[in-house]
Amino acid sequence: MYWLTKTFTTSIGKKILMALTGLSFCGFLTVHLIGNLTLYGGQDLFNAYVEHLHSLGPVITLFEWGLLLLAIIHILTGSILFFQNLISRPVRYKVNKNAGGRTLGSATMPYTGFILMLFIIFHLFDFHFVDHTNQTVYQIVSNSLSQIGLATIYLVAVIIAAVHISHGFWSLFQTLGANHPKYMPTIKNIGILFSLIIGIGFGFIPIFIAFIV
Amino acid sequence: MTKAINLTLKVWRQQGPDLKGRLETYDAKNISTDMSFLEMIDVVNEKITLEGKEPIAFDNDCREGICGMCGAVINGRAHGPEKGTTLCQLHMRQFSDNDIIVIEPWRAKAFKVIKDLVVDRSALDKIIQAGGYISVNTGGAQDANSILVPQETAELAMDAAACIGCGACVAACPNASAMLFTSAKISQLALLPQGKPEAARRAIAMTRVMDKLGFGNCTNERECEAECPKEISITNIARMNREYLKASFISTVQ
Amino acid sequence: MQLDSKVPGGPLSEQWDKHRCELKLVNPANKRKFNIIVVGTGLAGGAASASLAELGYYVKTFCIQDSPRRAHSIAAQGGINGAKNYPNDGDSIQHLFYDTIKGGDFRARESNVYRLAQASVDIIDQCVAQGVPFAREYGGLLANRSFGGAQVSRTFYARGQTGQQLLLGAYSALSRQINAGKVEMFTRREMLDLVVINDQARGIIVRNLITGEIESHDADAVVLCTGGYANVFFLSTNAMASNVTASFRAYKKGAFFANPCFTQIHPTCIPVHGTFQSKLTLMSESLRNDGRVWVPKNPGDKRPANQIPESEREYYLENQYPSFGNLVPRDVASRRAKEQCDIGKGVGETGLAVYLDFAEAIERDGRDIIEKKYGNLFQMYEKITAENPYETPMMIYPAIHYTMGGLWVDYNLMSNLEGLFVLGEANFSDHGANRLGASALMQGLADGYFIIPYTIGGYLAGTSRKDITTDHPAFKDAVKMVKARMNNLLSIKGKRTVDDFHRELGLTLWEHCGMSRNEEGLKKAKEHIKGLQEEFWQNVTVPGREKDFNQSLERAGRVADFLEFSQVMIEDALERKESCGGHFNEAFQTDENEALRDDENFCHVSAWEFKGDDKDPEMHKEPLVFKNVELTQRSYK
Repeated sequence: MYWLTKTFTTSIGKKILMALTGLSFCGFLTVHLIGNLTLYGGQDLFNAYVEHLHSLGPVITLFEWGLLLLAIIHILTGSILFFQNLISRPVRYKVNKNAGGRTLGSATMPYTGFILMLFIIFHLFDFHFVDHTNQTVYQIVSNSLSQIGLATIYLVAVIIAAVHISHGFWSLFQTLGANHPKYMPTIKNIGILFSLIIGIGFGFIPIFIAFIV
Repeated sequence: MTKAINLTLKVWRQQGPDLKGRLETYDAKNISTDMSFLEMIDVVNEKITLEGKEPIAFDNDCREGICGMCGAVINGRAHGPEKGTTLCQLHMRQFSDNDIIVIEPWRAKAFKVIKDLVVDRSALDKIIQAGGYISVNTGGAQDANSILVPQETAELAMDAAACIGCGACVAACPNASAMLFTSAKISQLALLPQGKPEAARRAIAMTRVMDKLGFGNCTNERECEAECPKEISITNIARMNREYLKASFISTVQ
Repeated sequence: MQLDSKVPGGPLSEQWDKHRCELKLVNPANKRKFNIIVVGTGLAGGAASASLAELGYYVKTFCIQDSPRRAHSIAAQGGINGAKNYPNDGDSIQHLFYDTIKGGDFRARESNVYRLAQASVDIIDQCVAQGVPFAREYGGLLANRSFGGAQVSRTFYARGQTGQQLLLGAYSALSRQINAGKVEMFTRREMLDLVVINDQARGIIVRNLITGEIESHDADAVVLCTGGYANVFFLSTNAMASNVTASFRAYKKGAFFANPCFTQIHPTCIPVHGTFQSKLTLMSESLRNDGRVWVPKNPGDKRPANQIPESEREYYLENQYPSFGNLVPRDVASRRAKEQCDIGKGVGETGLAVYLDFAEAIERDGRDIIEKKYGNLFQMYEKITAENPYETPMMIYPAIHYTMGGLWVDYNLMSNLEGLFVLGEANFSDHGANRLGASALMQGLADGYFIIPYTIGGYLAGTSRKDITTDHPAFKDAVKMVKARMNNLLSIKGKRTVDDFHRELGLTLWEHCGMSRNEEGLKKAKEHIKGLQEEFWQNVTVPGREKDFNQSLERAGRVADFLEFSQVMIEDALERKESCGGHFNEAFQTDENEALRDDENFCHVSAWEFKGDDKDPEMHKEPLVFKNVELTQRSYK
């Protein structure tokens, strides 16, 4: 298995790890968003959905551990790439200008990534690692999101995630070698659409809870 | 139409590789807009020389955009503001009267400054030496038309082969990565039937050496593609990644 | 001294085979014991280094740029000739041979040229195998186009970057040998002297251009592939670093310099537009396939091109040469352009330009086709001139482009100095008085891939050499001389810059020893340059230090050699009292103003021997014997 570690520790290998784990998160976010849409159906529908999820038992645990592993890979590899890139130009330019390739998303990847990591930890402690015995999940969510401060944190985090995805989505295809003049424009469009859907889909939840419910 | 403009240059001056450098200011007066950027530096250098001082050192040779010898970062842009242009082909009509122009050398850990704007790009040669070739000895080749190459393939290979090895991709990359350079050669040879027998070995060998030389990693920011004077596309990087995956998972190359 | 060209006997088509069979071979196990120095990494040097290393020799290769990939062969645009006859239009080795001899105005050696035509076929095979992305037809076969001086399509091309692609092919082969440890590569080194021991070339002195250190390298043979000397004219299409120093230092050590006055003017360059200009840019000759050359019919017509009606345009090449039309050889096209400008029909701000018009081709084939063929050239033109050649005709004017003259070599490509081989543009051998388009690439690669690997073996196996190292006094003396010269240059601290002298030298030569020459002008130029040279050694200013990266010092050494060399060139032009190819002496022309050769008195190679700094060089003649072609007045009508 020496060859396998060798394959994934090179520059391209690390990119591929980022792409594969990133792709998994895109999948996770899609499922997460579909589930969260039940919030708009009210307390009962949402709690029923949560119940259903919890009834899956070990499968969920497996997924949770899987996600954790993916997150560790994504964060660790990302950090290594970040620091390697930092030292690859020891003397910086006095004048820096973009040539038109960089976007807000691409230029901020490590930073949005770092913030998202903090957010996810916060999010887990806010919703997941709390006492579930005396309150339903819907109550936890609505208690939290009805506070303007927390709702704002969620909203900002979701926007940051959308920015992260706006680069990450097409970029992961490029990294996996799927760049072709015929379908790359479509992938890029899907990427933008996807980040918008994630941004609006998740972003509207705190607004909905804080202001509408 | 031809005009004469006056400029202020801020040029990176550095005596040697391990010495400290700094930006120095020079006036470039009465510069014809028909001049190339390097001819403008020539004019400034003639003046400096007559003052008994050492002129600005900068690499250049063919001055027609093909040898890849010239290059500097002009106001934060590799090879200056014009798209698809080497520094020697950049003309002063791109600038206006009283502009301030900051001129810096390529910056990367893998490119050490030798003097002023001159940098050591031998790392790029080392990447090619690792496998950027087809192993045929002189004399053993079969008739040139015996292997057909579809026109489209030949054109794609030519698009990649147009690389002049100037290093602008590295200079422009926010991470000082050499992926575009490396991928251009891997792509050219992987596309052509003549290059296929060695494709796996080449992809592994070249990317490994590239890593060792201290270049940064690619984060798909596309600055390289935007600054490349030969407008080489990052589809080549995607193709290199495919070649790398194929070589890693399908071939027997270790 | 009788120059022995060592041309083998027998029928032309069998000579090279016979000769290869007769050459002594080196045992494969012994090859690695031989050290070979190759200077220069263009097509000739890159190909030679790779091929020799593949055979097993230990090769040390030197180049002046930061990478062997940057040699000026890279700038060749249009293509490379190969007598493949793929288009089935009547081409053959014999045909390419004849075109090249005739194009060279019958001043090249038959045997060498025939061998070149033979090798042209193998070159295309070799390059395709290396992964050179030549243009292809839809069916996947190689595409061809036509070039000046030929009526068949035998030119292979890779867009307008054929030289680049061929050079990168040679560079990749060289890189492979560097990786294998068979070639030791020295970049940023400039050869400053040749070391001759017992009348054999045994090493070189180079300056490390980064540190300024002077280094000595010994070898069993030295191969010079250092290109041409067109930069003696200051403004030329050559790269800035192209120079005559390596060849000229060899000349001063006893190698003969042949036909230095044979310089080529390329008809399609972007016109000069200012005194600050540092170099000229060529537009590939391939443009003449589709572009039509014209000037206004009436002298002094200053209307923009699109306002001059068809009836008032003069397509002078098509009118004067109905069968070759716009595709006449370079020397003819250049002189006719100068002629039109001399009578006031020149266009543009300076009046020193003619039009090259693509309107008809664009209408006929569509813009897409033209863009595919010449896109990068049009783009380059637009970048330099800020005019769009798809809409307005290009303006072109002749410029110095290539030098047919070079160090004298025999059939083995060895100079009169034993052990000194000279390849590519640096030698004089294949193009006579004028080179045809797409032939320089062919020659460089033929010499490097297919000739030197055989002939150098014959030399190494057939001669005895003493064991020497760089401790030999000849090396020490050469180093001392090189250092003294540099210190001298640095200590003058005068009032004029190196470029200033170079520019003046160039202008003088362009005026009197350029596109057309006459005795009076040449003599004037010679006097003037003598004075300029004297002033140079008293009044030049070279800042900086010796042991440092010092581009002023590099240039100073090169210009000092150009100043000296140009006098040999003028001497040669004075001596050749005829017109042939690129050497046009106004006193010798036909009624139709074509070059008039004097085959009775000048059917020879003039090889110049250095006799000392204060003495005139001595000329030796190698008679040219034509057994297979009839010497005719060139006609492209």
